[in-house]
Amino acid sequence: MKSLRSHEGYMLVDNRNGPGVDDATMIALGYPAGAGRGIYESATYTCSHCNTVVVIEPRRTRERGYCRKCSQRICDSCEALKAQNFECLTVKELADIVQESAERHADVQSIILPWEKSRS
Amino acid sequence: MAKYAGNWTSVTATAIADTTALTDNNYPYAIQGGTSTQRNVISDIMIGGEASSSTVIILKCARDSTASATLVAGTGGKAPVLLDGSGTAPATAPLGGNSASTDPQRSSTLHLINFSFNAFGGISRWVASPGYEIHVVGNTASLGDLSLSGFTGTGAAATSGQILFETV
Repeated sequence: MKSLRSHEGYMLVDNRNGPGVDDATMIALGYPAGAGRGIYESATYTCSHCNTVVVIEPRRTRERGYCRKCSQRICDSCEALKAQNFECLTVKELADIVQESAERHADVQSIILPWEKSRS
Repeated sequence: MAKYAGNWTSVTATAIADTTALTDNNYPYAIQGGTSTQRNVISDIMIGGEASSSTVIILKCARDSTASATLVAGTGGKAPVLLDGSGTAPATAPLGGNSASTDPQRSSTLHLINFSFNAFGGISRWVASPGYEIHVVGNTASLGDLSLSGFTGTGAAATSGQILFETV
């Protein structure tokens, strides 16, 4: 069984060769204070429900969102939503629904069916 | 299946608010599925600043609430190219670039990644863990169209970069 940490991505903000970015801007964008100076490397995770990439702040003590139904990490917004409706719909499931729906409504003339191919 | 690199060179992103049409050649890149059933997964975004003086850049990778129409390379943008020289493209290739007959509009709610760095020597990069990429599904809003664009408050400075993605 894989750990949640094995699913983490990577974020780099490298301002070593420049004046950097002020803390107010970085904090407003979800980065910790100091991330705009020098080199900043952090783990990230992708919310299973909405695909938002969350930069992990290691000093955060509040619990991260986690969905027991899909067994994946989720962002704070999806965590708040899940607390209200208890629903789990991952982006991958949503993608399957969209693809299936598009396929059903596709122009059937454009699909080469096996028996049509054999006639030609 | 087919892995692509969408890249742009010396494109200056201007600050454009959510749900406002982006303007040709003023956003680094947008990606749209080639067909209504196509799925593309984004695994890597790399941006480098090219300013000649201190300029704080704020770029948002976000889904678009209004999809682009006839998305093409544009000035400084490049259409997606296969990473593998011997790779086979799907029947209808995904679209990418920074110019369109109808430019996309960034969703006000579906922001996926925030990039901020000083374009005077700064770079930023995000890499997804395999299996945890960003999905672009179909070719309609909001799942099928995604853009990287300058957010409110960004300074105007040129950047170059690339988005690596795969049609699966």
